[in-house]
Amino acid sequence: MILRGLWERRTLSLVVLLIAIVPIASAAVGPIYAAAARTTIAREALAAAPVEGRGWRYTTTEGDIEAKVAAFTAGADFTTAPSYGMELSSGRRDDERAFSLVWQDGQCAHLTLAEGRCPRAGGEVMASQTTGFAVGETVELTTVMKSGPGSTGRESAPLTVVGLYRPGSAADPFWFGRTLFSPTGEPSANKADALFTVPQTRLDTYIVSSGVSIGSADTSGGWTDYAVIGIDPARLDGADLDRLSAMQAAAEAAGRDSQVIVFSRLADTLKVMTANADALGVPTLLVIAQLVGLGWMLLFQTVGDLVRARGPEIALARLRGLRRTRVWLFALAEPLLLLAAAVPLGLLAGHVAAGAMIGALLPPGIPVAFPPTAALAGVAAMLGGLLAAGPVAWRVATRPVTEEWRRTPRRSARGWVLDAVVLAITALGLVELLAAGVLTDVSGRGSSAMAVPGLIALGVALLAGRALPVLTRRLFAVTRRRGGLGPFLALRQVARGPVTAGSVVVLGAAFGLATFAVSAWSATSGDYAETARFHNGAATAITVRPVEPRKLIAAVAAADPGGRTAAPVIMVPGPPQLVAADPARLAAIGAAWRPALAGGTSLEQAAAAVQGPRSPRVWVRGDRFRVRLQHDLPPEGWRIRMSAVFRVPGTLRAARLPLGELSGTSGTHMWNLPPACAREACELRALRGEPVPPPEYREPAFVQVTVAGLAVREQGRWRSLELPSWRVDEDPDARDGTFAVTYAGNQTLRPDTYAPEPAAVVVGPVGRKAVPGLDNSYAMPVRAAVASAAGPGLTDAGVLMDLEQADRIAYGVHEKAVHQVWTRLSDTAGLERELERQGLSVVSRRTVTELTASFTGQGPGLALLLLLASALAAAALALGRTVLALHTAARRRGYELAALEAAGARVAALRIALLLEQVITVAAGTLAGLAAGLLAAWAALGRIPQFAAAPVTPPLPHQVAVAPVALVVGAALLLSLVAAAVVAELLLRGVKVERLRDAPA
Amino acid sequence: MSLVRCDGVVQIFRAQDVEVVALRDVDLTIGAGETVALLGPSGAGKSTLLWLLAGLLRPSAGRLWLDGADLGRLDQRRLDRLRATHIGMVLQNPARNLIGHLSAAQNIAFAQRAVRRDRRRARELLARVGLADAADRPAGRMSGGEQQRLALAVALANAPKLLLADEPTSQLDEESGRRVIELVRDAAGDGTTAVVVTHDPAVGEALDRTVTIRDGRVGAEGRRGEDFVVVGREGAVQVPPEYHHLLPPGSMARIEELEDGIALRRAEP
Repeated sequence: MILRGLWERRTLSLVVLLIAIVPIASAAVGPIYAAAARTTIAREALAAAPVEGRGWRYTTTEGDIEAKVAAFTAGADFTTAPSYGMELSSGRRDDERAFSLVWQDGQCAHLTLAEGRCPRAGGEVMASQTTGFAVGETVELTTVMKSGPGSTGRESAPLTVVGLYRPGSAADPFWFGRTLFSPTGEPSANKADALFTVPQTRLDTYIVSSGVSIGSADTSGGWTDYAVIGIDPARLDGADLDRLSAMQAAAEAAGRDSQVIVFSRLADTLKVMTANADALGVPTLLVIAQLVGLGWMLLFQTVGDLVRARGPEIALARLRGLRRTRVWLFALAEPLLLLAAAVPLGLLAGHVAAGAMIGALLPPGIPVAFPPTAALAGVAAMLGGLLAAGPVAWRVATRPVTEEWRRTPRRSARGWVLDAVVLAITALGLVELLAAGVLTDVSGRGSSAMAVPGLIALGVALLAGRALPVLTRRLFAVTRRRGGLGPFLALRQVARGPVTAGSVVVLGAAFGLATFAVSAWSATSGDYAETARFHNGAATAITVRPVEPRKLIAAVAAADPGGRTAAPVIMVPGPPQLVAADPARLAAIGAAWRPALAGGTSLEQAAAAVQGPRSPRVWVRGDRFRVRLQHDLPPEGWRIRMSAVFRVPGTLRAARLPLGELSGTSGTHMWNLPPACAREACELRALRGEPVPPPEYREPAFVQVTVAGLAVREQGRWRSLELPSWRVDEDPDARDGTFAVTYAGNQTLRPDTYAPEPAAVVVGPVGRKAVPGLDNSYAMPVRAAVASAAGPGLTDAGVLMDLEQADRIAYGVHEKAVHQVWTRLSDTAGLERELERQGLSVVSRRTVTELTASFTGQGPGLALLLLLASALAAAALALGRTVLALHTAARRRGYELAALEAAGARVAALRIALLLEQVITVAAGTLAGLAAGLLAAWAALGRIPQFAAAPVTPPLPHQVAVAPVALVVGAALLLSLVAAAVVAELLLRGVKVERLRDAPA
Repeated sequence: MSLVRCDGVVQIFRAQDVEVVALRDVDLTIGAGETVALLGPSGAGKSTLLWLLAGLLRPSAGRLWLDGADLGRLDQRRLDRLRATHIGMVLQNPARNLIGHLSAAQNIAFAQRAVRRDRRRARELLARVGLADAADRPAGRMSGGEQQRLALAVALANAPKLLLADEPTSQLDEESGRRVIELVRDAAGDGTTAVVVTHDPAVGEALDRTVTIRDGRVGAEGRRGEDFVVVGREGAVQVPPEYHHLLPPGSMARIEELEDGIALRRAEP
């Protein structure tokens, strides 16, 4: 019977089913999408982490490594198979270097063989080319003793070199960030590159330390066992974060009561993951809550329509004497069945929709999971429909039966209680939002304020639903006198029709949320693009391996001789941050800049303002350096050691050359220059003295030293250098090459090649703070040539200065400094080839688009995407539901329309009446939604979170793009008009005078 | 013994600020097994009286007994129960009595829900109304006459003591109407009291008694082919319209006392 009834009312039943499916699907989409977004966050954080942040190195000296690792990784299906290894450190007789004897499973595949072969048997090793060993040579380590029959127990075990390898990249994840060999190919004097062997060596030897045997062939003592446990991004998902945290906590606690050390930088990776995941949680929940709320409202009305459509049957049930509860259940039967059917269908639709969204919005390869919370959310959404159906069915079941047989239903006044509650909550949320300012905490506080968009949409819709009948009643009086029958009938129906108010509320709320979603998305997309533009610096930022600034500048100049495509940049994190770039090229490549943020100053003007003096630098090329000094007589007992500081090609740090001690009142001091200075010019950066006091002294030393001459020896011939103009950092007035060597307040003499306070574009509250400089030494403040609210490459307060100046000031380049080439190009393949040709090594590249996409992939961005997609779908559904409700209401007035036609009313007038009624209702709802959405955007934009971590700079414009909003509203209005015209025609066809015979008593 | 007794029943409808008196001091007694036609012009209050008898409305004043139960004082549960067991009702539009997508048998079963499912009675009823072969046919696909007969079968589904029918022949042809009246009489033969609202003189003639309602009052009664005016509570008598040419409304009359009553004569003051 229920199924027959559903078939009888198939159109309405289908609509109820569809409308029930949407909130269930929306509710299910949230958790599915959130789970995928969390997976994205986890995987992206993992991908961005250094190799040590992508796993653990588990080490133990207690043996039984496999069992320990198995216990550590138990239950974690996202870890890669452990890569086991063992190692020990030892010295070598007559060799200052320390050696590591290492085996790691699969090592041969990660070592580049230069000669010989990989070790296969115990006692065989493979050595680095840099060790100086030859294939066939025997190496004996002081702690590795021969074991086995015939050995005395005190003989070093001979390790035969069977192969030589070329040091590979330490960045190879296989080595887990270890420095088993020097990545530059220049191992230090204290540590040799590792010797690689096989596990059998452990069985054939035993280990002694300081003459004490600590291990033998059958124990693990002396050797350190280790396992590298990686995390497989393809198997890691958002739900693993808790397990990952637990593993990291276990790793950190491991060494407390055992000889286990777990090394990892996963804690940093976890911090990033957790921060982003937290930023996703609350906004997503709120988005889902608002959409489900909207779905409930739609359900409430549509389920009510379905129950009311069964009014005659329910009246018959009453007439036949069924008790009220049975009538109520009878009335509920069909909606309940539909809602029950909607749950699996909604969950399926949610899964499919979430899959589509995940496929379209998230990076490829993210799995579409179905967490239990999705099913729970779907069922909870369905309960909203049940809550709607219950009271409506009860009302229909208990209202007087005779009401059902009235031709024109009595007007029932809508209560104010619900409206008052919604409006009060809206007002409170709005006040909280406006008072709170920017919400930076997205983990839960301010949640009610973040719900304001939905509340405003609902509040404005409720007011519009109240206002429209009042307005039309006023116009109704006008149409009584003139305007024709059509407008008269339309306005009368709008003024008295209960469907009108409900439709306006639903449409207003749905379009309010949709308008807000579109506005928020367009504004946030703009904010993302603006932020990405400034943070990236230019269209594409190519990161290259660190080289000395001069080489970077020269390489870029050679790769882009026109100076309009690329600009060299070195960035130091600070704070304050430092971006050092070629200002002229920066302006030419269209680096991120906005004159409005810099008091109207253009980038070209700013570039011109930050360029420093170009006084000549002191270049020396040769094998020996000489300086002639005149000075005070050093105090008795004091030794004054002189040194010169040079920038040497191929190194990032300055080289300090000892020049000997002062004696008498003058002297010539010389020292060999680094070998690189013979091939390429080195730069003299400073001269200074170091006073070494006697064991006892009465007064501190104060020796004034004047540089009288400089010379360099090249190919056996000395060449005098022109003395530059000098400056002393600690005494700006000293310009004649004289400086003081003292125990306190020692001075440094430097060629005067830069401004003491270099000009810079200053972003944020930098003031007189010392900026890091390329060498991160925080030596001096800058002069604010231009103050701007944002600068290219700056993500926080910082300065933009001339790279040439920064290079002249700094003694070297700090390891934290990031070397980049900025370009206006998006396809950088050609430029990168040119840069590689000029000796630069490209590490990575990042475009503004990619950075924008990464912002979109953060928690708030993902939540906004969810809101956008779902709100648009809900708005379309609300429109459909409204048209259907108007159609149903008009059909119920068929008798009245037939009577009008019988009384002589023309069809054209009836057409106008039907058309106008629907257009007024739909347009009022849509426009109320537009107003509500824009109001919500005005109130909420700039206050709700857009980024996982709000950027300090640039200031976010929050500019709502007119076109998408106009497109949504325009499309809605157009669809409304078309739907209204079609519905009016369908209704007119059903208006027949014969229907009057159907009249009840 | 009376099955229905109305004692000074008043029914007032309130719509916004307007009060409409539908029935005024209606006194009426209907005996068990009696068939009564309620006559009267549109808007006189016939349907209202029928709804009151069905317990769908509660009288604004006065009392109404059905089989000894005061309908106005029954709670909703007992009223529903009484309606299920004692009352069968046929609404004016045949289709309105039926659930169109259910078969004839299912419609009867639906009416039996509140009491007891009795398939044999359902079959008997369908046979009695001539729809034995249409038991599985959806009610919505039946002709008007068939629907009205089925509506009658549905109303009789629980063997009610009181059958109420509102214009059961108004949309039927003569033959169908005649069959419906026969069915009503048959039901009365089984002991069911029938009250039928009708404009159809043939229906009035076919039933035991007619009660004419005018302006919310019982104006006249007819028994065995003879019409009587009814003297109301305050001694009011409604002059039947057919005598209005002798005593037009608004005219004055003299009362002449007779041995067994009074005579009204037009007076010209």
